[in-house]
Amino acid sequence: MPGSIGAAPQAPVVATASPAADASARARWRSLVLTDPISRLVRNAAHAGILGVDDGRYDLRRLALAAIDVVVGQMGFAREATLDDVLDALARLAARMFPERPDEWPAVAQTVLKGLLNDAHDNRRFTYHFADVSDSGTARWEPYSFRLLSLRDTEFGPVLVASDQAITLFLHGLDVDLEDADRALAHVLQRQLEDRRFAAAARTAAQAERTSVGLSATLAELLDATRRDVTSTDWTADLPDRLTRARRHVEERIAEDDRFLEHVQGGLDSEVSPEVRAVSGQIVDLLGRAKQVHLDLEKRLVGARDVFLAAQVRQRIGRRRRLRMLNLAEDVLEPVLALPVTDALEVTERFAERALGVTVPRLARFDDLVESLWAAPRAPEPDAPPEEVDDVPADTDDVQGYPAEVVEAARSVLARADAGVPLSELLGTDTSDEVAELVALSALWAFAPDPGDEEADGSDVGFLAAGLVAVPTGATITAGAFHGPDLRLTRVGAAPDPAPRLEDDE
Amino acid sequence: MTSVAADLTEVRSAAELIQFGLARRVRPVEGSEYRRLLDRYRGELRFKDVVDTMAEGLGLEVLGTPRAGIVLVPEPGGPFATRLGDLRTMDQQEKLVFGLVLVGIAAYAYPNDVDFDDPETRLIEVTAIEEFLRTAVAAADLGDVEDRARAAAEIYADLPALVLTNTGRRARGCTLRAVEEVCAWLVGQGAAREATSLGPDTFHLTDHFRLLVADSAGTAALDALRSVRRDAATGAQA
Repeated sequence: MPGSIGAAPQAPVVATASPAADASARARWRSLVLTDPISRLVRNAAHAGILGVDDGRYDLRRLALAAIDVVVGQMGFAREATLDDVLDALARLAARMFPERPDEWPAVAQTVLKGLLNDAHDNRRFTYHFADVSDSGTARWEPYSFRLLSLRDTEFGPVLVASDQAITLFLHGLDVDLEDADRALAHVLQRQLEDRRFAAAARTAAQAERTSVGLSATLAELLDATRRDVTSTDWTADLPDRLTRARRHVEERIAEDDRFLEHVQGGLDSEVSPEVRAVSGQIVDLLGRAKQVHLDLEKRLVGARDVFLAAQVRQRIGRRRRLRMLNLAEDVLEPVLALPVTDALEVTERFAERALGVTVPRLARFDDLVESLWAAPRAPEPDAPPEEVDDVPADTDDVQGYPAEVVEAARSVLARADAGVPLSELLGTDTSDEVAELVALSALWAFAPDPGDEEADGSDVGFLAAGLVAVPTGATITAGAFHGPDLRLTRVGAAPDPAPRLEDDE
Repeated sequence: MTSVAADLTEVRSAAELIQFGLARRVRPVEGSEYRRLLDRYRGELRFKDVVDTMAEGLGLEVLGTPRAGIVLVPEPGGPFATRLGDLRTMDQQEKLVFGLVLVGIAAYAYPNDVDFDDPETRLIEVTAIEEFLRTAVAAADLGDVEDRARAAAEIYADLPALVLTNTGRRARGCTLRAVEEVCAWLVGQGAAREATSLGPDTFHLTDHFRLLVADSAGTAALDALRSVRRDAATGAQA
């Protein structure tokens, strides 16, 4: 709503407090409205189903500050805070505030984050209107828009970043470069100790400990990434430099930790005021923890290169296991079934890619896709196309059948069954192997026809077996290529006609 | 494009970068080869030329290089272009509604031209998109839009918002399911990601989608829906 509104020439001019106040009014007003989204979040909490905000169940203001802290704490590093990082952190804090209702923690975290993202207004910027009354007579309304947190699409997925306004107001220009911050804090702590400003020194020492922990975590993350995938970090230039700097820094810090501890310990021994003694004790504890962090960090730094070398050997030089050496059920399927869906997808997709071969990824262009989807349907064909005449003669030859001369020879052999004859005798005649095979199969078919095998009924075997009855003789065929119970073959009725079909007499 | 002969190692690197762009799940994390090549593309004009030329030969175009990686789009009819056959089998009505929802999401997320330059990515919810489209097809002036878009709007208005299956899920034939399907397709394209931590139906539109829509010449339907969205935003601000 920019521009002049409410022009009232006759209205009395409002006297302002002072020119200096007017000059800084805009800046102070902006600071004021920057906190309004959080106030609004608290006011609207009940609508989001979060009850008891004012009764000490959840401190949404504290959670909002924590969200900004988490986001800013990750900015400037390789990986910013993801939605899940922030939501997890907030849910853990909500759990500490009201442990009795674990079902509410995720909703509380969501509400806070959505409030900071201005979810109520589709994640647009927060907009407020400043009334500039520096001109006499009229107020000029100036819109002021800002974000507190916003989402960015990155290689890690959606991450959160804090706006300049949020950082300036809520963090007072906290330096996010951990190593520099650590060193700066050390200087501040030294000065405060020398000035015997112990309360301030305790706060500084606490901050120094946090930054040391952060540095340690960053290094741990890099080493973990190296263990997972040696190519994910730059071990040729970037990481060796960082390790060298970090090692030098840690060596200095360990020496300074001892010096600070000695200094405070000395003050603790000689100080008589109970308040100062208490604060000094806190500082000693904090410095002790920070020293432990630095020692731990030094240990990691010393072993960092070995981590890289081991990972390289394992991932690059190490012989790859061959798939056929795996038991797919035990080594692949069962472990994958036990994984969460996202982890399982990593395995199954890689497996599918290798198993299915090359697939061309399909990409979309907005206009082309919409055009295709909205394309008018094709008009139907006026007439059905004439059916193609199949002028190719059907191939009736059975490639698995017997040659006609073999069938004829077998028929001659089986003709002797009209008077009843053992199969062994028929097989004993001087016939070719193919003829003998066909005779044997026909005898078997006559003995045990398969009523469901329509194809066999029309085959050479079915044709030859028509009219034959086979009964076991009790003897055994042992000679030649055949072996088994002998059968007595008898023809029932007339000789087989040229259009044979064995009726199933079940 | 310069006419200087390209070094073969550059050609290989260019091909690798395109390969990374085609593999949607690869991310240019710090220290990776993908990041190195992406930085080269951003900073070396000669390498950029090689990549662009190679992409052109493959029927692709480089639309941009946001943090999440290089964004490639296909030339129409090229080997990488999405065909209707790549989508699930749909009847005519379903195709029209799918297109309308796609346009609706674009209008909802980017009502103003300035939004295309804003790196802030958008969160959308299935129900919010459905409600917006239902309101928009009633409120928009569709007099000048394409016939098929008008037909899509009429079908959308006729469809129920929600029909449930026996198992309590959204059934085909309702608009919420249609929106859900388009969102799922966008996820498959790398144009959106599920933001389940913020709600079961919440999606995060990526820079990929922003660049796709920014690249669009636009349609009358998109203009009409964006106008409705702008009006709604103005009303909410007032």
